[in-house]
Amino acid sequence: MRWSGVSAVGAVVFNGCLIPEEELQIESPVDLPEDLVTGIDNWYATLCRQDPEGCGIIVRVVEGRAKKVEGNPDYPINQGKHNARSEAGLQALYHPDRIETPLFREGSSGEFQAISWEDARSKIADRLGSLQDKSKFLLVTQPLRGHLALLANEFVRAHGGKHMAFEVLEQVNLRRAIKDVFGQDRMPDFDIENCKYLLSFGADFLSTWVSPVKYARGYGEFRQGSGKRGIHVQVDSRFSMTAASADEWIPVKPGGEGILAMSMIYVMIMDGLGDRGVASLLTGGNGHQALDAFRPNSPDVEEATGIPSYRIIELAHAFANHSNQPSLAIGGGSAGAHTSGLFNLRAIYSLNLLVNNVNKDGGVFFNPPPPVEDLSKQGVMDMGMPASFQDWKDLDQPEVLMVRGVNPVHGLPAGNNFASVMDKAGFVVAFSSFMDETTEKANLVLPEHTYLEDWGDDVPDPGPRYETLGLQQPVVRPFHSGTRGFGDELLLLGKDQGLLGRLGLDGIDNPTYQDLLKKGAEKLWQEDRGSIKAATFDGFWNGMLQRGGWWDTEAKSQAAAPNTQALDTNWPNVTMQGPTGENTYNLIPFLSNSVGDGNLAHLPWLQAAPDPVTTVVWHTWIEINSKTAEEKGIHEGDMIEITSPNGIVEAPAYVHPAVPPWTVSMPIGQGHTAFGRYAEGVGVNTLSILAPLTDGDTRSLAWASTRVSIRKTGKRIDMPRFEGNVPAFELEGERIIKLALPD
Amino acid sequence: MANERINHKWGMVVDIDRCIGCQACVVACQAENNIPLNTEDRFRQRRAIEWIHIERYWEGEFPNVKARFIPVLCQHCDSAPCEPVCPVYATYHNNQGMNVQVYNRCVGTRYCANNCPYQVRFFNFWEPVWPESLKNQLNPDVTVRSRGIMEKCSFNVQRLSKAQRVIEGQMGERITDEKMREGNFLPACVQACPTTTLVFGDFNDPDSQVSRMKKEHLVEGGRGYKLLEDLGTEPNVIYLKKVDIHAKVEVEAHA
Repeated sequence: MRWSGVSAVGAVVFNGCLIPEEELQIESPVDLPEDLVTGIDNWYATLCRQDPEGCGIIVRVVEGRAKKVEGNPDYPINQGKHNARSEAGLQALYHPDRIETPLFREGSSGEFQAISWEDARSKIADRLGSLQDKSKFLLVTQPLRGHLALLANEFVRAHGGKHMAFEVLEQVNLRRAIKDVFGQDRMPDFDIENCKYLLSFGADFLSTWVSPVKYARGYGEFRQGSGKRGIHVQVDSRFSMTAASADEWIPVKPGGEGILAMSMIYVMIMDGLGDRGVASLLTGGNGHQALDAFRPNSPDVEEATGIPSYRIIELAHAFANHSNQPSLAIGGGSAGAHTSGLFNLRAIYSLNLLVNNVNKDGGVFFNPPPPVEDLSKQGVMDMGMPASFQDWKDLDQPEVLMVRGVNPVHGLPAGNNFASVMDKAGFVVAFSSFMDETTEKANLVLPEHTYLEDWGDDVPDPGPRYETLGLQQPVVRPFHSGTRGFGDELLLLGKDQGLLGRLGLDGIDNPTYQDLLKKGAEKLWQEDRGSIKAATFDGFWNGMLQRGGWWDTEAKSQAAAPNTQALDTNWPNVTMQGPTGENTYNLIPFLSNSVGDGNLAHLPWLQAAPDPVTTVVWHTWIEINSKTAEEKGIHEGDMIEITSPNGIVEAPAYVHPAVPPWTVSMPIGQGHTAFGRYAEGVGVNTLSILAPLTDGDTRSLAWASTRVSIRKTGKRIDMPRFEGNVPAFELEGERIIKLALPD
Repeated sequence: MANERINHKWGMVVDIDRCIGCQACVVACQAENNIPLNTEDRFRQRRAIEWIHIERYWEGEFPNVKARFIPVLCQHCDSAPCEPVCPVYATYHNNQGMNVQVYNRCVGTRYCANNCPYQVRFFNFWEPVWPESLKNQLNPDVTVRSRGIMEKCSFNVQRLSKAQRVIEGQMGERITDEKMREGNFLPACVQACPTTTLVFGDFNDPDSQVSRMKKEHLVEGGRGYKLLEDLGTEPNVIYLKKVDIHAKVEVEAHA
């Protein structure tokens, strides 16, 4: 591989007339291959599909092999930045445990046999064709956007079936709160970069929440950009990576987030802070008395939030203070994962209305609908909306089930048995690159291309405030000859049901998913606007391929801020499930900074990437407060039995000072019994012990409402962690981390 | 011109007020530099290899507790303690201010790692092993180090030497920040960092961002400092202090 580079290099190094200076120097007697040899490389722009965020990436390809992922500097979402998770996409592409060919078995047990794609397709056609009640066909995918949403929607409708989008720890409450407070169907863009006071309730926005690369990029500027340094206060029941970066962390009691926000609103209205018109609308004209139940000095408020009244008053004043404008409040994660989750998030986002920051720098910017009209139809947009936990519980037993790219058997908590749904279904098809817990229960397994081998596009949600269509292209040829693209297969499977006509592809012979993408792009080309203008469509398409998509910075949302609705001023119903009393705790689960919700647990770089707060790798651990641990005689590595009403798991303790003494917390995403060599047998599945409580309105999973008891088992392990690999070495009086005051 | 060698002094500025501890630099480095897979067992033996790593320091007790992150990589010291102790000159200082490891000279005495106060040198205790298919990802520009060899951060010398060939050799121009960015020649960690904590460049170029930051911050009362400066290692990595709105209390306490 290297030799192709040598001649090119040689030409440069040896064509000179003089001896290079370093050859006369004694300290440079040897050159490494690194100094001399370079292969010829190409960089291709495409999209990352490891995260729902959908960053634009460029991939370095040398001799047909993908070598390195970097951020696409042109792409509006991430602007050249990326994260550990997008980097590791290469390991999915070249993973040793990828499924290489379609597999089939009769019934739900027995050995899989390799079959051809033609046979696989005819089996699906037979099953779908012989279905009496067409609504008994169910397609389960991750939330879909762009033309794949359009295609899957038409595919399901052509077959008379249904679709459900699966998201681990679904954020149904968040989307509903955004709709209720701002009247928006799409997530807005939060201008973290330009705000001066950022109040985040439970949102781990630098790590895993919604659009972390975009937020992290803005956060760097928020801290040390050209303007005054912003202040970040994190109200969080867990000390997350984001809380660690905050100027102040306020350890709120789980479930009390919305009550705290309401109490802040009470203070702001009573003290005449913020927009008076909005204040009047929020209270139905009744002033702060309408929120009397939430006054900061009420014992109920202090009991529910764990925060003394003077702190609440300080927070409200800081948020509304002129010198701190623009200020911004965001909320999500555990703050929205309670039986009062929707109440919490509505109250939190309403803070923005009081400081009037909608569509202003440093505030909340609305996003326009997708640029292509076909993609903004309600049915297509709905493909991106995850189903609530209750929807999964109330699932109509399907006869033919098709699962793509998600793992509900692992990712749905207790009280919801997707495995038995799969068992009862007559025929289960799984599109997957890996044999995970869901795929191994299928009758027919169809190995997909990874995203680096396949076409696609994306309308990012949240977008960058203007119309954007990202383009995903294959950067390498498929590594295995037996894999196919999901989009291409849907087109083939829906052909006889008139799918091509529905999509307007009937004029093309054997259309592929790429043709559908081009058709959408052609409409953009005809509109002759935005980042790419070309005389011919081919020129336009090439422009999209080169830059990784199309965007029009002028095409912004036309939506005005909606009429502000009065707040729900009833005291919320905050319910927890599980033991109370001595030695019991609120369990706060969290998404892993590296393996995410478990969808990336099969990638060794990510398993080996230390958790930022604990530095633990390759494991599930339970975080316990140092003082509590001292009282209980618990040390790091002690195996702890964690018991909830729904199950028991065992995990080693990681003891640190920043765990609120009334909580314990555990990352999710591990405990795989299948999913390749790097995922199997690592840690435990935290989701398996969660209480199946839901929000009263949205029926979204209240995943932070489980109470557990813990018990030392007496077993102990040597904790795999990064800490201790490099002993911290500090000189007396000379600290490694030095501090300065803000200017 | 190609043969008039331009003197560079490569270095980095690390603003820890921007660092969020996200590990993007760590994984980017492993992808670029063919670092062996860090298995669970290697962490247990405290022998994981991370050329750049995030150290996390605790401060205080609940509820007034802080966790602070700092990315630590080879400081490319001008007076590097690792260099004089190598009996075979496997580690030396090149004429561009970089501390370089010559793998095919290294005999694995590990004296250098012992002498490095920053703990950024890593020894290959095992032969590196990848499943056959994962080898397709390996970077052809970077040597795979065998067992018994010391390795460390190279500032991605493979990218720098390519930049020199392309920009200085072929174009006959000086390498500027802008050209480094355009040509993807920045070290992988710098390129990845989502918050722009890491800034890389040429301290000999007065217009480079690192030179400007050095001038602005590495002054009396400024945020600039060097790690374990009292040891006299003269690092080429400058850190900018973490800003803490409560720092005053601590400054008084330490005074």
